[in-house]
Amino acid sequence: MLKAEAYRALLESDFGVQEFSDKTPPCIEASEHHRLAATLKERGYTLYGFVAATHMPAVKGAADALELAGHYEVATGLRCPTEGSHIAIWRVRLGLDEELRTLVDLFVGADWQEREQYDLVGVRFADHPDLRRLMLPEDWEGHPLHRDYPIDTPHPPWR
Amino acid sequence: MTLASAARLGVDPHRDLTDYDPEADLMVLNMGPQHPSTHGVFRVKLYLDGETIVRAVPYVGYLHRGVEKLLEELTFVQATPIVDKNDYVSPMTNEQAINMAFEALLEVEVPRRARYMRTLFAEMSRISSHLLWLATFGIDMGGALGGGTTLFLHCFRERESILDLFELVTGARFHYNTHTIGGNRHDIPAGWAKRVHQALDLIASRVDEYLDLSTKNAIFVARTRGVGTLPAKLALELGITGPILRASGVDHDLRRDAPFHAYDEIDVKVQTEQAGDCLARAHVRIRELSESIRLSKLLVDGLPEGPICGGRPIKNPTQFKAKDGQAYVALETPRGELGTYVIGGGGNKGASPYRLKIRPPSLHALAAMPYLLVGGTISDAVVILGSLDPIMGEADR
Repeated sequence: MLKAEAYRALLESDFGVQEFSDKTPPCIEASEHHRLAATLKERGYTLYGFVAATHMPAVKGAADALELAGHYEVATGLRCPTEGSHIAIWRVRLGLDEELRTLVDLFVGADWQEREQYDLVGVRFADHPDLRRLMLPEDWEGHPLHRDYPIDTPHPPWR
Repeated sequence: MTLASAARLGVDPHRDLTDYDPEADLMVLNMGPQHPSTHGVFRVKLYLDGETIVRAVPYVGYLHRGVEKLLEELTFVQATPIVDKNDYVSPMTNEQAINMAFEALLEVEVPRRARYMRTLFAEMSRISSHLLWLATFGIDMGGALGGGTTLFLHCFRERESILDLFELVTGARFHYNTHTIGGNRHDIPAGWAKRVHQALDLIASRVDEYLDLSTKNAIFVARTRGVGTLPAKLALELGITGPILRASGVDHDLRRDAPFHAYDEIDVKVQTEQAGDCLARAHVRIRELSESIRLSKLLVDGLPEGPICGGRPIKNPTQFKAKDGQAYVALETPRGELGTYVIGGGGNKGASPYRLKIRPPSLHALAAMPYLLVGGTISDAVVILGSLDPIMGEADR
């Protein structure tokens, strides 16, 4: 598919991605996250896709610093709503105390989606205009999809 | 919201009303969470100047059940009956979406007959879903259509015939649990195709009746034309897909543009409108209804012979395992792009997803509410919400 090849070439030339795998989307630096979204928007990827954050807990004895300390992995997808309807997906990795720059200034749809990821997973987005919980009550403690979240607490609110 | 994007889109959803005209006597009105027209449990806080809405703040999450967390605990095989309850108006497409994602992750092939059956079920779901939308939209219109109950009951009557057909295949009216990894569980019984034709012919013969009751009704048109106009650019930025996007003039449909299952073998005629208002959305959905009737007839006639499930039969909930890998699979449901992003290598020795994210089209549609309501009246709010066809079970998950 032409779009997929062009996307790959863009990542190789402008964003220094060396490794490509059929099984996982390409991974870029967290600092390049916003620039890639802006570049793709200019190239016709105007339909906001999705954002999915994942908490990866610390791995003992890992060689990689982020894996050793635990990190968040955020996957984002933008779709090109023309023929072929290619969806460009990329991942970024960031430390547990780091913030990822929001995409709200490019795609207003990111507003609620990033709020949801903050609410459920705990990843924070920098410069977000309204980073409140979306699904859970405002006084809820913890982020349920965070790996450290206990699912069998005996006291209310029963989780 | 930064000022730049507020200027770009015309409406600022985070507008600060402290500097609003002090003479205006602003009123705050909560619509919902329990309100007959909110199609589920959904609240929108309306800031009113007289009867004009100057700011709208939606609140979702009343039906949040933690489906994504729950699916991390269950295995791939056990996920299907859970996602049935997400979009409870078209459970077939939910099952299809999650199983397609798992099949992509686990690299499982689906036999041709199962692909056809899934496509047929999806199209029939589209008919029943759009009928239910038209029924409830009639209720939303209320007094304008003489209470709206005529349209409501007519559409429910026809929808029942589709559910009867699903019951003949799966034994369940609603939460089918018929899709599984690698195919389907239940084969089509003898004589089913004939009954499909009978039911579809009946619905097709009554589409004109629905048109008379809705888009040909002068009051219906007066209440929907020019109401809740969604520009294409804003719709794309919000990630809105499906009939709402097509009613805004964007010719995009995953069934045609990124064909999955049997859609690469049939020709889907994508319905679009340019106006982007509530009337255009109604037109698109009713025309899609007729198109889905045509596609369903093609599919049920062209159903190939062969197995309905590839590989070994599923005997063990931990039968399928993925060590790693990630997949994003999207398909076109009656409400738009339902995507599933799944990461393998989770609990139960890899038989569960590590992380599963569902991209619900309804949540993206509801995010348009702050933009569409501003400038309208309270009665418009009900019509606009109805025209977005949100399913809260799916939006909140």
